[in-house]
Amino acid sequence: MLDLIAQADRPPVVGTQYYDAGKVMMLFTFMIVFFLLLNIFRAGKNKDLYIRRIAGLNAIDEAIGRATEMGKPVLMVPGLGALNAISMQALNIFGYVTRTAARFANPIRLCCGEPAVFTVAQEIIRDVYQSEGVPERYEPDSVRFLSDRQFAFAASVSGIILREQTAATFFMGEFFAESLIFAETANSVGAIQVASSTEITQTPFFIAACDYVLIGEEFYAASAYLTRQPVLVGSLIGQDWTKLAFMLFIVMGTVMNTMQLRSKATEAVDGFGERTPLTEDRLVLPNETTMGRIFGPAKPNPATMKPREADPEAAAPEGGSQ
Amino acid sequence: MFDLLAQVPPKVNFWSAAPNTSALYGKVFLAFMLGVGFVFLCMNLPTRYRRTLISVLTFVAGLFFVLSFVWPKAEGRAPDTLPNGVVESVAWWLQDATGPVSGMTSTLTAFLLGLGAFSMLRVHIGRLVKQQKDWGFSLVLLISMFVMMIIGYWDWRTVNFTMKETNFNNPDNWIGITYAKDLVFDGILQKMDAAMFSIIAFYIMSAAYRAFRIRSVEATVLLVSALIVMMSLLALGDLMSSKFIGMFTHGDKSHFMANFTLSEIYGFIRAAFQTPSIRAIDFGIGVGALAMGLRLWLSLDKTGGTN
Repeated sequence: MLDLIAQADRPPVVGTQYYDAGKVMMLFTFMIVFFLLLNIFRAGKNKDLYIRRIAGLNAIDEAIGRATEMGKPVLMVPGLGALNAISMQALNIFGYVTRTAARFANPIRLCCGEPAVFTVAQEIIRDVYQSEGVPERYEPDSVRFLSDRQFAFAASVSGIILREQTAATFFMGEFFAESLIFAETANSVGAIQVASSTEITQTPFFIAACDYVLIGEEFYAASAYLTRQPVLVGSLIGQDWTKLAFMLFIVMGTVMNTMQLRSKATEAVDGFGERTPLTEDRLVLPNETTMGRIFGPAKPNPATMKPREADPEAAAPEGGSQ
Repeated sequence: MFDLLAQVPPKVNFWSAAPNTSALYGKVFLAFMLGVGFVFLCMNLPTRYRRTLISVLTFVAGLFFVLSFVWPKAEGRAPDTLPNGVVESVAWWLQDATGPVSGMTSTLTAFLLGLGAFSMLRVHIGRLVKQQKDWGFSLVLLISMFVMMIIGYWDWRTVNFTMKETNFNNPDNWIGITYAKDLVFDGILQKMDAAMFSIIAFYIMSAAYRAFRIRSVEATVLLVSALIVMMSLLALGDLMSSKFIGMFTHGDKSHFMANFTLSEIYGFIRAAFQTPSIRAIDFGIGVGALAMGLRLWLSLDKTGGTN
């Protein structure tokens, strides 16, 4: 492993104009991908995999049941984030919520602050009603684009909560300063609230104001927990393997760094990863430890770069009316 | 009409060409035909093949960003030089492609914004026409939306095209439309945003009141920790605790009791509990996002009705 980082042991190769983007970090990423794919493959064969109880997800059915009893709508907000893995995960969970609501003929409101998320949400919700065999219950206006301005969106969602007196609210995705406005408004109308945000700074607000909160990775575990699809459960196990590897590397890194920082340096390492023997006595510096070199990869020395040829077309570009 | 592309700096590479050249028009035409062809293909393919097509496109699009991440980055690139070898050529190509690929996302978002606006208009015009409950709010929204659009466009056109030479940063040069834009955007919209933001202060108080009520051991721990943190951040609280602890330590900072000032306890809470917890949650979120991204990229995730 150490050999991956200690490139300076070798003489610099002429022509390497590519800086070391952190081979170990990339190797780590590939390791995570391998864990995930391996476990997705494994889970396909084993249908009976255990996932610990997550209170916030058990509360989904309870919240929808309560909304059905009260005859009031269920509100879902996938946050203000763009169409990415986070908003897709939120929409996956909302697909489950909508499925349960559709079975009880309970009205839903899905409010979006991002046009791309709105378009995908419309498709998913319509698809859910169709797959449940009740396409006539789908209201096109139940999925709404409100505004892409943060506080205009916050005001719109609060308005819907107050006017329609929603009985259950689900806030999942990327939330920012508007999170507390939603949670407190929903609390003021007595709605059951299940929330989750991938923004660390907003999670405490949700914990303070909501009934159930999915913290951190529980948000990503939700669809596996709710649907028990082998692909999702396998992916979850892959994530657990990754976390075990993280723990192992953190312990190893701590021990290794502590030992190296207390040992005497025999050679100095410059910014280009080149080593020169030391004459004076000193301890190893933080940037000279294995961890320091993993997280601060060396750049190639310009003096060793192979010069590039001039581009003959660059001198006289076609057109040229710039 | 207007030279809308005038703001884009001309770059000559695989994705673009010099302005007013046949190569540029050819590339624009090719891109347009590819787009039309793709839409035509999507509309006419049977559903199961459409899913396959989308999966393939998702994979190719994702592969671009994966390659951008893993491919060696070229150092010290100059505009008038040629790449050294295949690896560097690919690196340059990927580097050049990042802008246009991001541009495609923006183009798509612009279309989707139109769909979003259409949804909003349908909801509110419908409510207005049918005189449903709270139709007055819908009327206000529609009027505000169109007034903002007209004034915004008119101001943009004036500042960037019709009176391009005038320095509108100087309020002495303002004309009617500049005042109107200032009124509706800076004077009304921004202020209403700020008003919504300021409401959070009151919501924090009511949420904190509920969270800090002593109902369980966890709530008590939360209350005590919050009190320590708040008191330590107040100058008076920190001063009082330092004076009190000073009675035992007599100014000796190495004294055991010196660890019990409010600021020291706050530092301990932050270093030993808060930061590691946040890091751990961040790790979980990061790995979860990677797993979700991988499933989406490889089309392993089934959403909506296929669950």
